[in-house]
Amino acid sequence: MSFRVGSTLLLSKDCFALQSYNFNTKRILGSVENALHFLDEYEVDEIHVIVPLKGKSNFISSEVFSKLINIPISTPVTIGGGIQLKDLKILLKDPFFERIVFNSAIFDGDEVLNTVALLMGRQALIACMPFIIDNHKLLVYNSRLNKFISISQDLWRKINKIFNEIILLDANAEGTKRGFNFNALDLIQFPIDRTLISGGITNQDILNARKLGLAGVTIDNWVLHSESSVKGVYK
Amino acid sequence: MDVGLGNFCSIEHWLNKSGLLSRRVSKVADFSDDAIIIPGVASAGEFMQRLNQSGMDKEIIKRAKSRQKIIGICLGFQILTNFSDEDGGVKCLGLLNGQTKYLRGAKTNNGWYPFNLDTRKIINNVHIPLHNKKKIKGRVFFNHELRVDLENSKDLHTSNLSNGITSFAFKENIFGFQFHPEKSQSTGRELLRLII
Repeated sequence: MSFRVGSTLLLSKDCFALQSYNFNTKRILGSVENALHFLDEYEVDEIHVIVPLKGKSNFISSEVFSKLINIPISTPVTIGGGIQLKDLKILLKDPFFERIVFNSAIFDGDEVLNTVALLMGRQALIACMPFIIDNHKLLVYNSRLNKFISISQDLWRKINKIFNEIILLDANAEGTKRGFNFNALDLIQFPIDRTLISGGITNQDILNARKLGLAGVTIDNWVLHSESSVKGVYK
Repeated sequence: MDVGLGNFCSIEHWLNKSGLLSRRVSKVADFSDDAIIIPGVASAGEFMQRLNQSGMDKEIIKRAKSRQKIIGICLGFQILTNFSDEDGGVKCLGLLNGQTKYLRGAKTNNGWYPFNLDTRKIINNVHIPLHNKKKIKGRVFFNHELRVDLENSKDLHTSNLSNGITSFAFKENIFGFQFHPEKSQSTGRELLRLII
């Protein structure tokens, strides 16, 4: 199976493509249609379309994601951001995506996760784990609490049981080319061949990730912003 | 095939991009003699239940026997077999002799694999139009946790991945793909133009 080079496309609640820096500052890039068309043309291996949410929200994800259904792309798509049971009922009537990425449900969303596993299969479940490393300890972001917290052994066991893959997002490096913090890989309890990394990814990081046997990388901004192609990043 | 489950929209985009017309069929009376595509991204139990309730299961079998082209994608491929282990066990359409089983070790198969097809090496009973392109070399996208195991037969053409998973199977007018051609970019479009 091949190493994957995908792209994350952040989406605003009003359906614009966003650029994010350091997990903090955001600016609008433009229309989501254009962004998806570019990524499709570049033949990235997959596109993760994510609405970044922080704290409690009344956001109805199915209203935003339903708008993407008519965009004709032929690249595998993952969606994520505030997806709840009621959204699944709408979105699974005609899924234009193959997988769903969850963050806060990692901590307290068993029902929605089990429903996805039942209706789409376990291959559809990805955990999005933005992290920081504090004093050699991995802290993972919980979007509902809007803070970085530690992961217990029990929770790692649950993540292993439920999720097919995880995306480790280096929050401090997001939106930059300063390099992914590979020390995080020593602090996770999840198979490396089912782990994708994101945040600050450089060309050297891609080579390193391949060598280490990771499932792939997800380039957060610069496929779009720097007009890089997947073939280009292998050079 | 539209039973209210499956990724129709992605399939319609795939067909449209290849310059083919399509329409959704959600009841027996809507069938025509054109190729029938059974979509993926759903579970076998619920999908087969809806097919049975609508009577479309018998209609597909009847049309397959009368040589109408049937194309199954991912789940759509799996339900072409006799039986699937998904959802506690489901009787399927039985158009391909074999069974759908969970991948060993509770594993899944996700990602891109090389794809090579030379129609000159396919047994000649498979219904591929003669005027179409003969060779495809590219890559295709897999995303599944069940695999199709087919019984060998002289009228069946199959291709397996290096890990033993059946990638695709052709038998006369029946075409099954474990991967998602509709999400396999340019290779998927070439493949569609080859078989239709």
